Amino acid sequence: MNMHATTHDELHAEMADKFDTDAMAQESTLLNPRFYTTDFDELDRIDVTPVREEWDKLIGQMKADPNKGHFKKNADWDKVDWDGMEPKLKREFIDFLVSSCTAEFSGCVLYKEMKRRGKNPDICELFNYMARDEARHAGFINDALREAGVAVNLGFLTKAKKYTYFRPKFIYYATYLSEKIGYARYITIYRHLEQHPEQRFHPIFKWFKEWCNDEFSHGEAFALLMRTDPKLTESFANKLWIRFFLTAVYSTMYVRDHARPAFHEALGVDIDWYDQEVFRKTSEIAKQVFPMELDIDHPRWMPNLKRMERAFRKIEAGEKQGGIAGRIAKFGAGAQAAWAFVSLYTIPVKKSTPPASVRLEPAY
Amino acid sequence: MSLFSRKVEQVPCTVEVSHRFEALHAHVRFNDGSVVHPGDEVQVQGPPVLAAWGELIIEDRIATITRANALERLWTRLTGDFEFMELCEFSFSEEMSV
Repeated sequence: MNMHATTHDELHAEMADKFDTDAMAQESTLLNPRFYTTDFDELDRIDVTPVREEWDKLIGQMKADPNKGHFKKNADWDKVDWDGMEPKLKREFIDFLVSSCTAEFSGCVLYKEMKRRGKNPDICELFNYMARDEARHAGFINDALREAGVAVNLGFLTKAKKYTYFRPKFIYYATYLSEKIGYARYITIYRHLEQHPEQRFHPIFKWFKEWCNDEFSHGEAFALLMRTDPKLTESFANKLWIRFFLTAVYSTMYVRDHARPAFHEALGVDIDWYDQEVFRKTSEIAKQVFPMELDIDHPRWMPNLKRMERAFRKIEAGEKQGGIAGRIAKFGAGAQAAWAFVSLYTIPVKKSTPPASVRLEPAY
Repeated sequence: MSLFSRKVEQVPCTVEVSHRFEALHAHVRFNDGSVVHPGDEVQVQGPPVLAAWGELIIEDRIATITRANALERLWTRLTGDFEFMELCEFSFSEEMSV
């Protein structure tokens, strides 16, 4: 699993002052996204003809940009008592905002690069709209961070950046899943807070519904792309990859959410319940393209997620401890995590047949 | 392309950094049409491009592209895919517990 690099407190204080004085920044967070390349020729060869009708409809929706006016602060944006917030909750919540902002930002960088390097007009148009949405979301989260006295620093451009590589099909699987699971996560919190408004400790949650509809439609675009080439979801090797992506994304989410106990407690959300609910929704949606879903009710599922979470805690403890003993502890815990992953990966999947028409509307 | 040695190029580029409510983004475009390949390293020269809140900066700069050698390129092609998790909102920041 990847540890991406969002580094807190990297910038000197005097720079932070110059950078964002009106937000009274006490802390600055350097956004540090990766930069990507892919096989642009392969991307250009995509032909959306088999899904043309649905494609044009979806692109038309994106072009019309129904959410353009949504990401504005209005009277619903209540005053947030940052100073009165319990410190652990504040830390976890800011971490949540920073990683959300980084994810949107990384999406923006990736999509923009695809748009710029691609030559296929259909693909370029799609990536252009998606980059627009991601930049907008990132701006909105950034504003919430400013209120909390956290300045986001975009100075990373003048640092050396290595370009990494995603195979086009991995872009489809990974971004499809990240967009759909993002939808499931946001809508589950949104619906929960509709029932329990007293637990909405920050106004940003009120924006989650329209926000996640953007995520949903981005996912739809990738679903259509995957439909242009049946091999992407039907070949033996690719099915194994899809299983791998599902297992990796689900188990990372489980480990990660459990590292934010105060955040979920403040929302009144039981993390195990929440995660299973998000997996269930994501799996149900993903049946539109993936010919299988993970069996999250299998007796091996939850115990191995818990095992993986414990292993990650040990890895972290080993890192803090340092030295040879720390390294040995880390190595042992790494093996435990790997074993838990294998145990999850080998749970028999539930096979399904994607429907003839791929398109879905957000229904949760 | 050499197996081991890296080539360094200086390329004119345009940086665009938006630090506004409506969009937060930062991009580099190479003005001479240079193309970056897996494993290449890019560094924009000069002081950090720091857009203040509400600001959009579009600026011409020079970028240094350090080309990956054949081994690095191959390695990046083989392993880059596993960095996909960054696109998820719940991916890891530096430390697991905050």
